[in-house]
Amino acid sequence: MTGLVVVSAAVEGIVDEAVVRKLIVQAGGRPGTVYGKSGKPHLRRQIQGYNNAARHSPWIVLVDLDRDAECAPPLCGQWVPDPAQHLCFRVAVREIEAWLMADAETLASFLSVARSRLAADPERLLEPKTEMVNLARHSRRREIREDMVPRERSGRQVGLAYAARLMEYVETRWRPEVAAQGAESLRRAIACLRQLIQEPA
Amino acid sequence: MGMDFKFSRLVLKNWKNFAYADVAIQNRIFLVGPNASGKSNFLDVFRFLRDLASSGGGLGESIGRRGGVTAIRCLAARRDPDVEIHVELMDSQGKSRWEYEIAFKQDKQHRPLLRKERILCNGEEILDRPNQQDSDDPEQLTQTYLEQGSVNQKFRDLAAFFSSIRYLHIVPQLIREPDRSVGRSNDPFGGDFLEQIAKSPDRKREARLRRIKEALRVAVPQLHEIELWRDARGTPHLRGKYQHWRPQGAWQTEEQFSDGTLRLMGLLWAAMEGGGPLLLEEPELSLHPEIVRVLPLMFARVQRLTERQIFISTHSPDLLRDEGIGLDEVLLFVPEVEGTSVTLAESHRDVRDLLHGGISLADIVVPKTRPENVQQLTLFGAA
Repeated sequence: MTGLVVVSAAVEGIVDEAVVRKLIVQAGGRPGTVYGKSGKPHLRRQIQGYNNAARHSPWIVLVDLDRDAECAPPLCGQWVPDPAQHLCFRVAVREIEAWLMADAETLASFLSVARSRLAADPERLLEPKTEMVNLARHSRRREIREDMVPRERSGRQVGLAYAARLMEYVETRWRPEVAAQGAESLRRAIACLRQLIQEPA
Repeated sequence: MGMDFKFSRLVLKNWKNFAYADVAIQNRIFLVGPNASGKSNFLDVFRFLRDLASSGGGLGESIGRRGGVTAIRCLAARRDPDVEIHVELMDSQGKSRWEYEIAFKQDKQHRPLLRKERILCNGEEILDRPNQQDSDDPEQLTQTYLEQGSVNQKFRDLAAFFSSIRYLHIVPQLIREPDRSVGRSNDPFGGDFLEQIAKSPDRKREARLRRIKEALRVAVPQLHEIELWRDARGTPHLRGKYQHWRPQGAWQTEEQFSDGTLRLMGLLWAAMEGGGPLLLEEPELSLHPEIVRVLPLMFARVQRLTERQIFISTHSPDLLRDEGIGLDEVLLFVPEVEGTSVTLAESHRDVRDLLHGGISLADIVVPKTRPENVQQLTLFGAA
Protein backbone atom coordinates (compact mmCIF):
# COMPACT_ATOMS: atom_id res chain seq x y z
CA MET A 1 0.00 0.00 0.00
CA THR A 2 2.90 2.35 0.70
CA GLY A 3 4.15 4.54 -2.09
CA LEU A 4 0.71 4.97 -3.66
CA VAL A 5 -0.61 8.46 -3.97
CA VAL A 6 -3.51 8.97 -1.58
CA VAL A 7 -6.44 10.81 -3.11
CA SER A 8 -9.12 12.30 -0.87
CA ALA A 9 -12.61 12.61 -2.27
CA ALA A 10 -15.95 14.32 -1.74
CA VAL A 11 -19.12 12.98 -3.29
CA GLU A 12 -22.91 13.24 -3.10
CA GLY A 13 -23.79 9.73 -1.93
CA ILE A 14 -22.66 6.23 -1.16
CA VAL A 15 -22.95 4.92 -4.72
CA ASP A 16 -20.76 7.81 -5.89
CA GLU A 17 -18.31 6.82 -3.17
CA ALA A 18 -18.04 3.29 -4.58
CA VAL A 19 -17.49 4.76 -8.06
CA VAL A 20 -14.84 7.21 -6.95
CA ARG A 21 -12.94 4.60 -4.95
CA LYS A 22 -12.84 2.33 -7.95
CA LEU A 23 -11.67 5.14 -10.23
CA ILE A 24 -8.86 6.11 -7.84
CA VAL A 25 -7.64 2.52 -7.57
CA GLN A 26 -7.80 2.03 -11.35
CA ALA A 27 -5.84 5.23 -11.89
CA GLY A 28 -3.08 3.83 -9.67
CA GLY A 29 -3.85 5.76 -6.48
CA ARG A 30 -5.13 4.86 -3.07
CA PRO A 31 -8.50 6.20 -1.87
CA GLY A 32 -8.16 8.39 1.20
CA THR A 33 -11.01 9.74 3.26
CA VAL A 34 -14.25 10.16 1.33
CA TYR A 35 -16.26 13.18 2.49
CA GLY A 36 -19.79 14.44 1.97
CA LYS A 37 -22.26 11.66 1.11
CA SER A 38 -25.12 13.81 2.34
CA GLY A 39 -26.40 15.12 -0.96
CA LYS A 40 -25.51 17.87 -3.34
CA PRO A 41 -26.50 20.94 -1.30
CA HIS A 42 -24.28 19.71 1.53
CA LEU A 43 -21.37 19.28 -0.86
CA ARG A 44 -21.92 22.74 -2.23
CA ARG A 45 -21.66 24.22 1.27
CA GLN A 46 -18.38 22.40 1.95
CA ILE A 47 -16.67 22.98 -1.39
CA GLN A 48 -14.46 25.83 -0.18
CA GLY A 49 -13.02 23.54 2.49
CA TYR A 50 -12.22 20.80 0.00
CA ASN A 51 -10.68 23.28 -2.38
CA ASN A 52 -8.59 24.64 0.43
CA ALA A 53 -7.30 21.18 1.33
CA ALA A 54 -6.50 20.54 -2.36
CA ARG A 55 -3.79 23.17 -2.24
CA HIS A 56 -1.57 20.63 -0.51
CA SER A 57 -2.82 17.16 -1.46
CA PRO A 58 -4.73 15.51 -4.31
CA TRP A 59 -8.51 15.68 -4.21
CA ILE A 60 -11.36 14.65 -6.41
CA VAL A 61 -14.79 16.22 -5.98
CA LEU A 62 -17.54 14.56 -7.99
CA VAL A 63 -21.01 16.02 -8.50
CA ASP A 64 -23.94 15.23 -10.74
CA LEU A 65 -24.78 17.80 -13.38
CA ASP A 66 -28.50 17.00 -12.99
CA ARG A 67 -30.38 19.82 -14.68
CA ASP A 68 -28.36 22.59 -13.07
CA ALA A 69 -26.80 23.60 -16.38
CA GLU A 70 -26.74 22.51 -20.00
CA CYS A 71 -23.20 21.21 -19.73
CA ALA A 72 -20.44 20.90 -17.18
CA PRO A 73 -18.22 24.01 -17.60
CA PRO A 74 -20.72 26.58 -16.24
CA LEU A 75 -21.27 24.40 -13.16
CA CYS A 76 -17.52 24.22 -12.50
CA GLY A 77 -17.32 27.99 -12.66
CA GLN A 78 -20.14 28.38 -10.15
CA TRP A 79 -18.82 25.83 -7.69
CA VAL A 80 -15.09 26.53 -7.81
CA PRO A 81 -14.26 29.78 -9.53
CA ASP A 82 -10.70 29.46 -8.29
CA PRO A 83 -9.71 25.75 -8.25
CA ALA A 84 -6.66 24.74 -6.22
CA GLN A 85 -3.67 23.10 -7.86
CA HIS A 86 -4.49 19.53 -6.81
CA LEU A 87 -8.24 19.66 -7.13
CA CYS A 88 -9.89 17.51 -9.72
CA PHE A 89 -13.46 18.82 -9.84
CA ARG A 90 -15.55 16.54 -12.01
CA VAL A 91 -19.14 16.62 -13.12
CA ALA A 92 -21.03 13.45 -14.08
CA VAL A 93 -23.38 14.08 -17.01
CA ARG A 94 -26.12 14.08 -15.86
CA GLU A 95 -26.06 11.57 -13.04
CA ILE A 96 -23.61 8.90 -11.92
CA GLU A 97 -26.01 6.24 -13.22
CA ALA A 98 -25.12 7.32 -16.76
CA TRP A 99 -21.53 6.28 -16.11
CA LEU A 100 -22.70 2.85 -15.01
CA MET A 101 -24.99 2.45 -18.03
CA ALA A 102 -22.08 3.25 -20.30
CA ASP A 103 -20.76 -0.25 -19.60
CA ALA A 104 -23.89 -1.69 -21.19
CA GLU A 105 -22.74 -5.26 -21.46
CA THR A 106 -22.03 -5.94 -17.77
CA LEU A 107 -24.91 -3.79 -16.53
CA ALA A 108 -27.43 -5.59 -18.74
CA SER A 109 -26.14 -8.89 -17.42
CA PHE A 110 -26.15 -7.69 -13.80
CA LEU A 111 -29.71 -6.41 -14.10
CA SER A 112 -30.85 -9.35 -16.24
CA VAL A 113 -32.30 -7.17 -18.97
CA ALA A 114 -31.86 -7.25 -22.73
CA ARG A 115 -28.88 -5.20 -23.78
CA SER A 116 -31.02 -3.47 -26.37
CA ARG A 117 -32.90 -1.77 -23.55
CA LEU A 118 -29.85 0.30 -22.63
CA ALA A 119 -29.51 3.73 -24.17
CA ALA A 120 -26.70 4.02 -26.73
CA ASP A 121 -25.66 7.40 -25.42
CA PRO A 122 -26.40 7.55 -21.67
CA GLU A 123 -25.01 11.06 -21.27
CA ARG A 124 -27.94 12.36 -23.30
CA LEU A 125 -30.46 11.01 -20.83
CA LEU A 126 -32.11 13.77 -18.83
CA GLU A 127 -32.81 11.51 -15.85
CA PRO A 128 -30.44 8.57 -15.76
CA LYS A 129 -31.56 7.51 -12.29
CA THR A 130 -35.18 7.20 -13.41
CA GLU A 131 -33.90 5.31 -16.42
CA MET A 132 -31.92 2.93 -14.19
CA VAL A 133 -35.05 2.21 -12.14
CA ASN A 134 -37.00 1.62 -15.34
CA LEU A 135 -34.36 -0.82 -16.56
CA ALA A 136 -34.62 -2.70 -13.27
CA ARG A 137 -38.39 -2.79 -13.73
CA HIS A 138 -37.79 -5.00 -16.78
CA SER A 139 -35.41 -7.32 -14.98
CA ARG A 140 -36.04 -11.02 -15.38
CA ARG A 141 -34.97 -11.44 -11.76
CA ARG A 142 -37.57 -10.77 -9.11
CA GLU A 143 -35.01 -9.78 -6.49
CA ILE A 144 -33.57 -7.08 -8.75
CA ARG A 145 -37.04 -5.67 -9.36
CA GLU A 146 -37.96 -5.76 -5.68
CA ASP A 147 -34.69 -4.24 -4.51
CA MET A 148 -34.40 -1.44 -7.06
CA VAL A 149 -37.92 -0.45 -8.06
CA PRO A 150 -39.90 1.53 -5.46
CA ARG A 151 -43.13 0.04 -4.22
CA GLU A 152 -46.15 1.91 -5.46
CA ARG A 153 -46.87 3.64 -2.17
CA SER A 154 -43.32 4.32 -1.09
CA GLY A 155 -43.28 7.86 -2.45
CA ARG A 156 -39.59 7.45 -3.24
CA GLN A 157 -37.74 7.50 -6.51
CA VAL A 158 -35.88 4.24 -5.87
CA GLY A 159 -36.43 0.85 -4.28
CA LEU A 160 -35.33 -0.14 -0.80
CA ALA A 161 -31.97 -1.68 -1.72
CA TYR A 162 -31.27 0.38 -4.83
CA ALA A 163 -28.00 1.80 -3.54
CA ALA A 164 -26.85 -1.59 -2.26
CA ARG A 165 -27.42 -3.17 -5.67
CA LEU A 166 -25.57 -0.42 -7.53
CA MET A 167 -22.66 -0.57 -5.10
CA GLU A 168 -22.52 -4.31 -5.62
CA TYR A 169 -22.46 -3.76 -9.37
CA VAL A 170 -19.72 -1.12 -9.18
CA GLU A 171 -17.54 -3.28 -6.98
CA THR A 172 -17.98 -6.57 -8.81
CA ARG A 173 -18.74 -5.90 -12.48
CA TRP A 174 -18.39 -2.33 -13.65
CA ARG A 175 -15.48 -1.62 -16.02
CA PRO A 176 -14.66 2.10 -15.95
CA GLU A 177 -12.36 1.96 -18.98
CA VAL A 178 -15.11 0.38 -21.10
CA ALA A 179 -17.69 2.82 -19.76
CA ALA A 180 -15.40 5.76 -20.53
CA GLN A 181 -15.78 5.02 -24.23
CA GLY A 182 -19.47 5.78 -23.99
CA ALA A 183 -19.37 8.60 -21.45
CA GLU A 184 -17.18 11.59 -22.19
CA SER A 185 -17.51 13.06 -18.69
CA LEU A 186 -16.21 9.79 -17.23
CA ARG A 187 -13.34 9.68 -19.71
CA ARG A 188 -12.31 13.14 -18.59
CA ALA A 189 -12.62 12.24 -14.92
CA ILE A 190 -10.31 9.25 -15.40
CA ALA A 191 -7.81 11.34 -17.35
CA CYS A 192 -7.88 14.03 -14.68
CA LEU A 193 -7.32 11.49 -11.90
CA ARG A 194 -4.41 9.91 -13.77
CA GLN A 195 -2.76 13.26 -14.12
CA LEU A 196 -3.38 14.07 -10.48
CA ILE A 197 -1.76 10.81 -9.39
CA GLN A 198 1.21 11.14 -11.71
CA GLU A 199 2.05 14.63 -10.54
CA PRO A 200 1.51 14.46 -6.82
CA ALA A 201 1.80 17.34 -4.47
CA MET B 1 -43.86 -25.74 11.01
CA GLY B 2 -46.92 -23.53 11.03
CA MET B 3 -47.90 -20.81 8.65
CA ASP B 4 -45.83 -17.65 8.45
CA PHE B 5 -47.60 -14.35 8.85
CA LYS B 6 -46.84 -10.69 8.54
CA PHE B 7 -48.53 -7.84 10.34
CA SER B 8 -50.28 -5.50 7.94
CA ARG B 9 -52.25 -3.18 10.21
CA LEU B 10 -52.46 -2.19 13.86
CA VAL B 11 -55.31 -0.39 15.59
CA LEU B 12 -54.97 0.68 19.22
CA LYS B 13 -57.37 2.20 21.69
CA ASN B 14 -56.21 3.47 25.06
CA TRP B 15 -52.91 1.61 24.93
CA LYS B 16 -50.37 3.54 26.99
CA ASN B 17 -49.53 6.81 25.15
CA PHE B 18 -52.08 6.14 22.45
CA ALA B 19 -55.69 7.13 22.90
CA TYR B 20 -56.20 5.96 19.35
CA ALA B 21 -53.93 4.82 16.56
CA ASP B 22 -54.55 3.10 13.25
CA VAL B 23 -51.59 2.41 10.98
CA ALA B 24 -50.74 0.22 8.03
CA ILE B 25 -47.63 -1.85 8.60
CA GLN B 26 -45.09 -2.74 5.93
CA ASN B 27 -42.45 -5.40 5.90
CA ARG B 28 -40.04 -2.97 7.50
CA ILE B 29 -41.02 0.03 9.59
CA PHE B 30 -39.09 2.86 11.19
CA LEU B 31 -40.48 4.49 14.33
CA VAL B 32 -39.39 8.10 14.67
CA GLY B 33 -40.25 10.44 17.52
CA PRO B 34 -38.93 12.33 20.55
CA ASN B 35 -38.03 10.63 23.81
CA ALA B 36 -41.02 9.32 25.74
CA SER B 37 -43.34 9.74 22.76
CA GLY B 38 -44.21 6.06 22.90
CA LYS B 39 -42.00 4.32 20.37
CA SER B 40 -41.16 1.61 22.90
CA ASN B 41 -44.79 1.45 24.00
CA PHE B 42 -45.78 0.92 20.40
CA LEU B 43 -43.31 -1.95 20.09
CA ASP B 44 -44.62 -3.22 23.42
CA VAL B 45 -47.96 -4.04 21.78
CA PHE B 46 -46.19 -6.73 19.80
CA ARG B 47 -44.33 -7.95 22.85
CA PHE B 48 -47.70 -8.08 24.63
CA LEU B 49 -49.12 -10.29 21.88
CA ARG B 50 -46.08 -12.50 22.18
CA ASP B 51 -46.51 -12.73 25.95
CA LEU B 52 -50.20 -13.57 25.51
CA ALA B 53 -49.41 -16.53 23.29
CA SER B 54 -46.22 -17.76 24.96
CA SER B 55 -45.92 -20.48 27.53
CA GLY B 56 -45.70 -18.92 30.95
CA GLY B 57 -47.64 -15.97 29.56
CA GLY B 58 -51.35 -15.47 29.06
CA LEU B 59 -53.64 -12.56 29.80
CA GLY B 60 -53.17 -12.21 33.56
CA GLU B 61 -49.41 -12.61 33.42
CA SER B 62 -48.94 -10.28 30.43
CA ILE B 63 -50.93 -7.52 32.05
CA GLY B 64 -49.39 -8.14 35.47
CA ARG B 65 -45.89 -7.84 34.03
CA ARG B 66 -46.84 -4.41 32.76
CA GLY B 67 -48.10 -3.21 36.12
CA GLY B 68 -51.79 -3.98 35.67
CA VAL B 69 -54.54 -2.50 33.54
CA THR B 70 -54.24 0.96 35.08
CA ALA B 71 -50.58 1.14 34.05
CA ILE B 72 -51.44 0.12 30.50
CA ARG B 73 -54.51 2.27 29.99
CA CYS B 74 -53.90 5.59 28.31
CA LEU B 75 -53.97 8.53 30.69
CA ALA B 76 -56.05 10.44 28.19
CA ALA B 77 -58.77 7.76 28.35
CA ARG B 78 -61.91 9.03 30.02
CA ARG B 79 -65.30 7.69 29.02
CA ASP B 80 -64.05 4.62 27.23
CA PRO B 81 -62.20 2.48 29.73
CA ASP B 82 -61.42 -0.61 27.60
CA VAL B 83 -57.93 -1.12 26.26
CA GLU B 84 -58.15 -2.47 22.73
CA ILE B 85 -55.73 -4.01 20.28
CA HIS B 86 -56.67 -5.01 16.78
CA VAL B 87 -54.10 -6.49 14.40
CA GLU B 88 -54.40 -7.58 10.82
CA LEU B 89 -52.06 -10.14 9.34
CA MET B 90 -51.39 -11.70 5.97
CA ASP B 91 -49.93 -15.13 5.52
CA SER B 92 -46.61 -15.15 3.71
CA GLN B 93 -48.20 -16.21 0.41
CA GLY B 94 -50.59 -13.27 0.68
CA LYS B 95 -53.54 -15.65 0.33
CA SER B 96 -55.35 -15.30 3.62
CA ARG B 97 -55.97 -12.30 5.79
CA TRP B 98 -56.31 -12.78 9.50
CA GLU B 99 -57.51 -10.44 12.22
CA TYR B 100 -57.07 -10.69 15.94
CA GLU B 101 -58.92 -8.35 18.27
CA ILE B 102 -58.67 -8.15 22.00
CA ALA B 103 -60.17 -5.72 24.51
CA PHE B 104 -59.82 -5.78 28.26
CA LYS B 105 -60.37 -3.73 31.40
CA GLN B 106 -60.20 -4.52 35.08
CA ASP B 107 -62.87 -5.76 37.42
CA LYS B 108 -63.58 -4.38 40.88
CA GLN B 109 -60.76 -6.44 42.38
CA HIS B 110 -58.40 -4.91 39.78
CA ARG B 111 -58.10 -8.22 37.96
CA PRO B 112 -57.84 -8.06 34.18
CA LEU B 113 -61.08 -8.96 32.52
CA LEU B 114 -61.51 -9.81 28.86
CA ARG B 115 -64.15 -7.67 27.14
CA LYS B 116 -63.68 -8.99 23.66
CA GLU B 117 -61.64 -11.57 21.80
CA ARG B 118 -62.29 -12.04 18.10
CA ILE B 119 -60.52 -13.86 15.34
CA LEU B 120 -61.38 -13.56 11.68
CA CYS B 121 -59.94 -15.32 8.68
CA ASN B 122 -60.70 -13.70 5.32
CA GLY B 123 -63.49 -11.81 7.01
CA GLU B 124 -65.09 -14.92 8.38
CA GLU B 125 -65.50 -15.07 12.13
CA ILE B 126 -63.68 -17.97 13.76
CA LEU B 127 -63.99 -16.77 17.31
CA ASP B 128 -66.22 -14.19 18.94
CA ARG B 129 -66.12 -13.71 22.67
CA PRO B 130 -67.74 -13.23 25.10
CA ASN B 131 -69.66 -16.34 24.03
CA GLN B 132 -72.14 -18.68 25.68
CA GLN B 133 -69.45 -20.47 27.73
CA ASP B 134 -68.27 -17.11 29.03
CA SER B 135 -71.72 -16.16 30.24
CA ASP B 136 -72.10 -19.60 31.86
CA ASP B 137 -68.76 -19.24 33.60
CA PRO B 138 -67.55 -15.61 33.79
CA GLU B 139 -64.25 -16.81 35.29
CA GLN B 140 -63.27 -17.81 31.74
CA LEU B 141 -62.96 -14.13 30.89
CA THR B 142 -59.66 -14.01 32.77
CA GLN B 143 -58.02 -15.98 29.96
CA THR B 144 -57.76 -15.64 26.20
CA TYR B 145 -58.43 -18.57 23.92
CA LEU B 146 -55.14 -17.75 22.23
CA GLU B 147 -53.21 -18.91 25.27
CA GLN B 148 -55.19 -22.13 25.72
CA GLY B 149 -53.85 -25.06 23.75
CA SER B 150 -57.07 -27.00 24.24
CA VAL B 151 -59.30 -24.50 22.44
CA ASN B 152 -57.04 -22.84 19.89
CA GLN B 153 -56.71 -25.63 17.26
CA LYS B 154 -58.22 -23.44 14.55
CA PHE B 155 -55.78 -20.63 15.12
CA ARG B 156 -52.75 -22.39 16.58
CA ASP B 157 -50.59 -21.02 13.75
CA LEU B 158 -51.57 -17.54 14.82
CA ALA B 159 -50.61 -18.23 18.43
CA ALA B 160 -47.30 -19.73 17.26
CA PHE B 161 -46.66 -16.65 15.16
CA PHE B 162 -47.29 -14.29 18.07
CA SER B 163 -44.95 -16.25 20.28
CA SER B 164 -42.22 -16.04 17.62
CA ILE B 165 -42.02 -12.23 17.89
CA ARG B 166 -38.59 -11.19 19.10
CA TYR B 167 -37.56 -7.95 20.80
CA LEU B 168 -33.95 -6.87 20.85
CA HIS B 169 -32.29 -4.02 22.64
CA ILE B 170 -28.76 -5.20 23.12
CA VAL B 171 -26.93 -4.03 26.20
CA PRO B 172 -23.25 -4.87 25.65
CA GLN B 173 -22.62 -5.06 29.40
CA LEU B 174 -25.07 -7.94 29.65
CA ILE B 175 -23.39 -9.89 26.90
CA ARG B 176 -20.14 -9.50 28.77
CA GLU B 177 -21.66 -10.50 32.09
CA PRO B 178 -24.19 -13.16 31.23
CA ASP B 179 -24.43 -14.24 34.89
CA ARG B 180 -26.73 -11.31 35.47
CA SER B 181 -29.40 -12.82 33.31
CA VAL B 182 -28.73 -16.47 33.88
CA GLY B 183 -31.60 -18.78 33.03
CA ARG B 184 -33.39 -16.27 30.84
CA SER B 185 -34.02 -17.33 27.32
CA ASN B 186 -34.66 -14.88 24.51
CA ASP B 187 -33.31 -12.16 26.75
CA PRO B 188 -33.98 -8.99 24.79
CA PHE B 189 -30.94 -7.33 26.26
CA GLY B 190 -28.53 -9.91 24.95
CA GLY B 191 -27.82 -11.70 28.24
CA ASP B 192 -28.22 -15.08 26.56
CA PHE B 193 -26.67 -14.03 23.27
CA LEU B 194 -23.60 -16.24 23.71
CA GLU B 195 -25.79 -19.12 24.84
CA GLN B 196 -27.95 -18.72 21.73
CA ILE B 197 -24.90 -18.84 19.51
CA ALA B 198 -23.58 -21.86 21.40
CA LYS B 199 -26.75 -23.86 21.05
CA SER B 200 -27.24 -23.32 17.33
CA PRO B 201 -26.13 -26.28 15.17
CA ASP B 202 -22.41 -26.25 14.35
CA ARG B 203 -22.66 -25.77 10.61
CA LYS B 204 -25.27 -23.07 10.85
CA ARG B 205 -23.25 -21.29 13.51
CA GLU B 206 -20.06 -21.41 11.50
CA ALA B 207 -21.79 -20.17 8.37
CA ARG B 208 -23.36 -17.28 10.28
CA LEU B 209 -20.20 -16.32 12.10
CA ARG B 210 -18.40 -16.34 8.78
CA ARG B 211 -20.97 -13.95 7.33
CA ILE B 212 -20.79 -11.77 10.41
CA LYS B 213 -17.04 -11.69 10.08
CA GLU B 214 -17.35 -10.57 6.46
CA ALA B 215 -19.80 -7.86 7.40
CA LEU B 216 -17.74 -6.76 10.39
CA ARG B 217 -14.65 -6.36 8.26
CA VAL B 218 -16.24 -3.19 7.01
CA ALA B 219 -16.75 -1.80 10.50
CA VAL B 220 -13.85 -3.34 12.37
CA PRO B 221 -11.18 -4.04 9.75
CA GLN B 222 -8.58 -5.16 12.27
CA LEU B 223 -10.79 -8.08 13.37
CA HIS B 224 -9.74 -11.14 11.38
CA GLU B 225 -11.42 -14.18 12.89
CA ILE B 226 -14.39 -14.81 15.13
CA GLU B 227 -15.25 -18.09 16.72
CA LEU B 228 -17.13 -19.64 19.59
CA TRP B 229 -14.82 -20.81 22.34
CA ARG B 230 -15.56 -22.56 25.62
CA ASP B 231 -13.52 -21.91 28.70
CA ALA B 232 -12.45 -24.60 31.21
CA ARG B 233 -15.87 -24.49 32.83
CA GLY B 234 -17.61 -24.96 29.51
CA THR B 235 -18.97 -21.42 29.44
CA PRO B 236 -19.26 -20.20 25.84
CA HIS B 237 -17.40 -17.09 24.75
CA LEU B 238 -17.06 -15.28 21.50
CA ARG B 239 -13.51 -14.57 20.65
CA GLY B 240 -11.95 -12.65 17.85
CA LYS B 241 -8.46 -12.41 16.49
CA TYR B 242 -7.24 -8.91 16.01
CA GLN B 243 -4.46 -7.96 13.70
CA HIS B 244 -2.00 -6.39 15.96
CA TRP B 245 1.56 -5.38 16.57
CA ARG B 246 2.15 -9.03 17.51
CA PRO B 247 2.99 -11.02 14.39
CA GLN B 248 0.36 -13.70 15.08
CA GLY B 249 -2.33 -11.26 16.11
CA ALA B 250 -4.07 -11.50 19.46
CA TRP B 251 -7.23 -13.25 20.56
CA GLN B 252 -9.72 -11.23 22.54
CA THR B 253 -12.98 -12.38 24.07
CA GLU B 254 -16.26 -10.52 24.26
CA GLU B 255 -15.06 -8.86 27.44
CA GLN B 256 -12.60 -6.85 25.40
CA PHE B 257 -14.83 -6.18 22.39
CA SER B 258 -16.06 -2.62 22.09
CA ASP B 259 -19.73 -1.83 22.71
CA GLY B 260 -20.18 -1.09 19.03
CA THR B 261 -18.64 -4.39 17.91
CA LEU B 262 -20.81 -6.37 20.30
CA ARG B 263 -23.99 -4.56 19.34
CA LEU B 264 -23.29 -4.98 15.66
CA MET B 265 -22.61 -8.69 16.15
CA GLY B 266 -25.89 -9.06 18.02
CA LEU B 267 -27.80 -7.18 15.32
CA LEU B 268 -26.28 -9.19 12.51
CA TRP B 269 -26.94 -12.46 14.32
CA ALA B 270 -30.57 -11.55 14.99
CA ALA B 271 -31.07 -10.30 11.44
CA MET B 272 -29.95 -13.65 10.05
CA GLU B 273 -32.27 -15.64 12.26
CA GLY B 274 -35.52 -16.48 10.60
CA GLY B 275 -38.76 -16.28 12.52
CA GLY B 276 -41.39 -13.81 13.58
CA PRO B 277 -41.13 -10.04 13.53
CA LEU B 278 -37.93 -8.61 14.93
CA LEU B 279 -38.35 -5.51 17.09
CA LEU B 280 -35.17 -3.47 17.26
CA GLU B 281 -34.76 -0.63 19.71
CA GLU B 282 -32.37 2.07 18.47
CA PRO B 283 -29.94 -0.13 16.53
CA GLU B 284 -27.77 2.95 15.95
CA LEU B 285 -26.45 3.07 19.52
CA SER B 286 -22.66 3.05 19.80
CA LEU B 287 -22.23 2.59 16.06
CA HIS B 288 -20.32 4.87 13.73
CA PRO B 289 -22.68 7.06 11.64
CA GLU B 290 -21.29 5.59 8.43
CA ILE B 291 -22.32 2.13 9.62
CA VAL B 292 -25.70 3.44 10.76
CA ARG B 293 -26.54 4.89 7.40
CA VAL B 294 -26.18 1.55 5.64
CA LEU B 295 -28.21 -0.37 8.24
CA PRO B 296 -31.48 0.05 6.26
CA LEU B 297 -29.79 -1.41 3.19
CA MET B 298 -28.37 -4.25 5.25
CA PHE B 299 -31.79 -5.02 6.75
CA ALA B 300 -33.45 -4.84 3.33
CA ARG B 301 -31.04 -7.36 1.88
CA VAL B 302 -31.06 -9.73 4.81
CA GLN B 303 -34.88 -9.63 4.81
CA ARG B 304 -34.76 -11.09 1.33
CA LEU B 305 -33.15 -14.18 2.86
CA THR B 306 -35.09 -14.47 6.08
CA GLU B 307 -38.47 -12.98 5.03
CA ARG B 308 -38.55 -11.58 8.53
CA GLN B 309 -40.53 -8.43 9.35
CA ILE B 310 -38.38 -5.79 11.05
CA PHE B 311 -39.63 -2.89 13.20
CA ILE B 312 -36.98 -0.35 14.15
CA SER B 313 -37.19 2.55 16.56
CA THR B 314 -34.63 5.25 15.88
CA HIS B 315 -33.45 8.77 16.62
CA SER B 316 -30.81 8.66 13.98
CA PRO B 317 -30.79 11.06 11.03
CA ASP B 318 -28.02 8.93 9.54
CA LEU B 319 -30.26 5.91 9.46
CA LEU B 320 -33.08 7.86 7.84
CA ARG B 321 -30.78 9.22 5.16
CA ASP B 322 -31.20 6.08 3.06
CA GLU B 323 -33.18 7.04 -0.01
CA GLY B 324 -34.82 3.64 -0.35
CA ILE B 325 -36.85 4.07 2.85
CA GLY B 326 -40.48 4.35 1.79
CA LEU B 327 -42.76 7.04 3.19
CA ASP B 328 -45.14 4.23 4.05
CA GLU B 329 -42.41 2.64 6.15
CA VAL B 330 -41.91 5.62 8.44
CA LEU B 331 -44.14 6.12 11.46
CA LEU B 332 -44.03 9.56 13.05
CA PHE B 333 -44.74 9.82 16.77
CA VAL B 334 -45.85 13.26 17.88
CA PRO B 335 -46.92 13.84 21.50
CA GLU B 336 -50.12 15.81 21.81
CA VAL B 337 -52.42 16.77 24.66
CA GLU B 338 -54.67 13.76 24.12
CA GLY B 339 -51.83 11.26 23.79
CA THR B 340 -49.34 10.56 21.07
CA SER B 341 -50.45 10.64 17.47
CA VAL B 342 -48.91 8.05 15.15
CA THR B 343 -49.02 8.69 11.45
CA LEU B 344 -47.31 7.38 8.37
CA ALA B 345 -44.95 9.88 6.80
CA GLU B 346 -46.83 9.37 3.52
CA SER B 347 -49.96 10.90 5.02
CA HIS B 348 -48.23 14.27 5.42
CA ARG B 349 -48.54 16.39 2.35
CA ASP B 350 -45.60 18.59 3.34
CA VAL B 351 -43.28 15.59 3.77
CA ARG B 352 -43.88 14.60 0.17
CA ASP B 353 -43.47 18.16 -1.06
CA LEU B 354 -40.24 18.71 0.85
CA LEU B 355 -38.88 15.39 -0.34
CA HIS B 356 -39.66 16.07 -3.97
CA GLY B 357 -38.02 19.43 -3.52
CA GLY B 358 -34.77 17.59 -2.83
CA ILE B 359 -34.62 17.61 0.98
CA SER B 360 -33.63 14.33 2.62
CA LEU B 361 -36.16 12.38 4.65
CA ALA B 362 -33.90 12.71 7.70
CA ASP B 363 -33.90 16.49 7.40
CA ILE B 364 -37.68 16.47 7.24
CA VAL B 365 -38.83 14.04 9.89
CA VAL B 366 -36.27 14.68 12.60
CA PRO B 367 -37.32 18.35 13.08
CA LYS B 368 -40.95 17.31 12.72
CA THR B 369 -40.69 15.02 15.71
CA ARG B 370 -38.40 17.30 17.71
CA PRO B 371 -39.35 17.62 21.36
CA GLU B 372 -40.93 20.91 22.37
CA ASN B 373 -38.72 23.42 24.12
CA VAL B 374 -35.42 21.68 23.57
CA GLN B 375 -33.74 25.02 24.03
CA GLN B 376 -34.66 24.90 27.73
CA LEU B 377 -31.88 22.35 28.15
CA THR B 378 -29.30 24.97 27.30
CA LEU B 379 -30.36 26.79 30.48
CA PHE B 380 -29.71 23.72 32.59
CA GLY B 381 -27.29 24.57 35.33
CA ALA B 382 -27.85 28.30 35.01
CA ALA B 383 -28.06 30.00 38.36
